Amino acid sequence: MPDNGGYLNAAYIVAGIIYLGYTLSLLRQARRR
Amino acid sequence: MGNLLRLALVLAGKDLRLELRTRTSIISAAVFAALVLIVFNFARDPTAVATLDLAPSVLWVTVAFASVLAMNRGFLVERENAAFDGLLLAPVPREALFLGKYLANFAFVMLVEGIALPLFVLFFNLDLSHALGGLVLTMLLATMGFVAVGTIFSAMVVKTRFAELMLPVLLLPFMVPPLILAVKTTVPLFAGRPLSEVVDGLRFLAIYDIVFVTLAVLLFPAVVDE
Amino acid sequence: MTAAVSGARSVINRGLVLTTLGLLGVAGVMVLALGFTPVEATQGLAQKIFYVHVPAAFIALWVAVPATAFAGLLYLWLHDPRLDRFAAASAEVSLVFCLVVLVTGPIWARPIWGAWWTWDGRLTLTLFLFFLLLGYQTMRAAIRDPVERARFSAVLGAMGLVLVPFIHLSVYLWRGLHPKPIVLKPSDPSLPPEMLHTLLYGIGAALLLYIGFVTLRYGIQLAHDQREAADAR
Repeated sequence: MPDNGGYLNAAYIVAGIIYLGYTLSLLRQARRR
Repeated sequence: MGNLLRLALVLAGKDLRLELRTRTSIISAAVFAALVLIVFNFARDPTAVATLDLAPSVLWVTVAFASVLAMNRGFLVERENAAFDGLLLAPVPREALFLGKYLANFAFVMLVEGIALPLFVLFFNLDLSHALGGLVLTMLLATMGFVAVGTIFSAMVVKTRFAELMLPVLLLPFMVPPLILAVKTTVPLFAGRPLSEVVDGLRFLAIYDIVFVTLAVLLFPAVVDE
Repeated sequence: MTAAVSGARSVINRGLVLTTLGLLGVAGVMVLALGFTPVEATQGLAQKIFYVHVPAAFIALWVAVPATAFAGLLYLWLHDPRLDRFAAASAEVSLVFCLVVLVTGPIWARPIWGAWWTWDGRLTLTLFLFFLLLGYQTMRAAIRDPVERARFSAVLGAMGLVLVPFIHLSVYLWRGLHPKPIVLKPSDPSLPPEMLHTLLYGIGAALLLYIGFVTLRYGIQLAHDQREAADAR
C-alpha cells in the first residue's frame, strides 16, 4: 500500500480552512450589519 | 414570422450600414486578427512542431478572440446615443430586435473571419483547397453559436462599467463547447479527410446553435424590458 | 421597522445554528473516515480525500447550482425579490463548494495519477462552473439597480444551466483523445458498505452545511436590503 497519508492530511486541512474561512467571513459580515 | 424576419433584416441593415460608413470597427477587428496570427507565428518554434498540427488551434483561438472583440460593438452604438430607449419605445417585437442585432453581429463577425482566414492560409503556408468547403461550413456553424450568446450578453453588459472586459469574462465559457467541436471537425479536414467523416461534429454544432439561439430569443425580452 | 430587522436577525441566527451543525458534521465525517473506515488497498490513505471531495462536488453540481438557476427562473416568472436574494446566496455558496472540489481534487490526483491536473471530466466541469459563478458574481457587482441585477442574474443563471450538459458532452468528446488513467471510480457500485455509509454521511453533512451557509448569507443580505430601504425612506 502506498504511503500517501500526507496528501490526505493536506486535503482535509485545506477543505477545513475553506469552510471555516467562509464561515468567519460570513460572521464578520453579520456582525458588521 | 415573415414579418419578424423582415423587421430583423431592416434592423440588421441599419446596423451594418452604420458600421460600414465609419469602417473603424471592422478595420480594428481585422487588424487584431492579423496581429494575433502574427503573434502565434513568432510564439512557436517551426522546427519543433509541425505547422499542420498547430494550425487548427491557431485558427480557432484567433477566431474566438477576434469574435469576442468584434461583438463588443454589440449595443455600444445604441448606448452612446441613448438610442436604446428609442428602439424600445418603438412598437418592435423584442424577438425582431434580438434577431436584427444577431444578424448584424453575425455578418460582422463573419466578415472579420473572412479576412482572418486568407491571412491564416498566407502566414502559415497551408494548402487548404481540399478542406475549404468544410472549413467554411464549420466557421459558419460555430459563429452562429458564438454570436447568439454574445448578442444577449452584450445587451446585458452594455450598461455596466467595464463592459469591454465583462463580455469576454461571461462569454468565453460559452464559447468552449463550439470551440471543441470546431477543432474536432477541423483537424480531420486539414488532414485531408472527407466532409462525410466530420458530419457528427457539425451536427452537434448545429444542435448547440439551435438551443442557444432559441434560448437567447426567449430570454432577450427579460434583458431589455423593464 | 424593528420587527423587520429582527426578522433578518432570526434568519441569521438560524443560519448560524445550521452552519455550526454542518461544520460539526463535516468534521465528524473526517473523523469517521480517518478512524472508522477501511483503507483502500490500491490507493492507500489518500483515497479518503474522496469523503470530502465527492460530497462537495455532489452538492455543488446537483444542489447549489441548480438551486441558483431555478430560483432565477422563478424570479423571471414571479418577480419576487426573495428569489433573487436566495439565488445570489446560493451562487456564492456554490463558489465555496466548487473551490473545495478544485483544491481537494488535485491533492487527491497527485498521489494517485501522478499529476496535479489531468483535465478529468468532472474536475473540468467544476472548473467551468467556478468561472461561470465568478462571472455571475462579477456581473452582479457591476449592476447598481437591484431589479435589473436580479433579471440579468436570472438570465445568466438560466443560460449557464443549459451550458452545463454541453460542457460535459464536449469535454467528454475532447477527452476521447486523452484516455483517462485507470483508477477507482468514485461512483463504483461495488463500494464496500462501510465506505458507502461514510460517503452518505459526508453528503448529508455537506448538505446541512450548504443549507446553513445559504440561510446565513440570505439573512445577511436581507438585513442589508432592509437597512438600505430604511435609509432611502
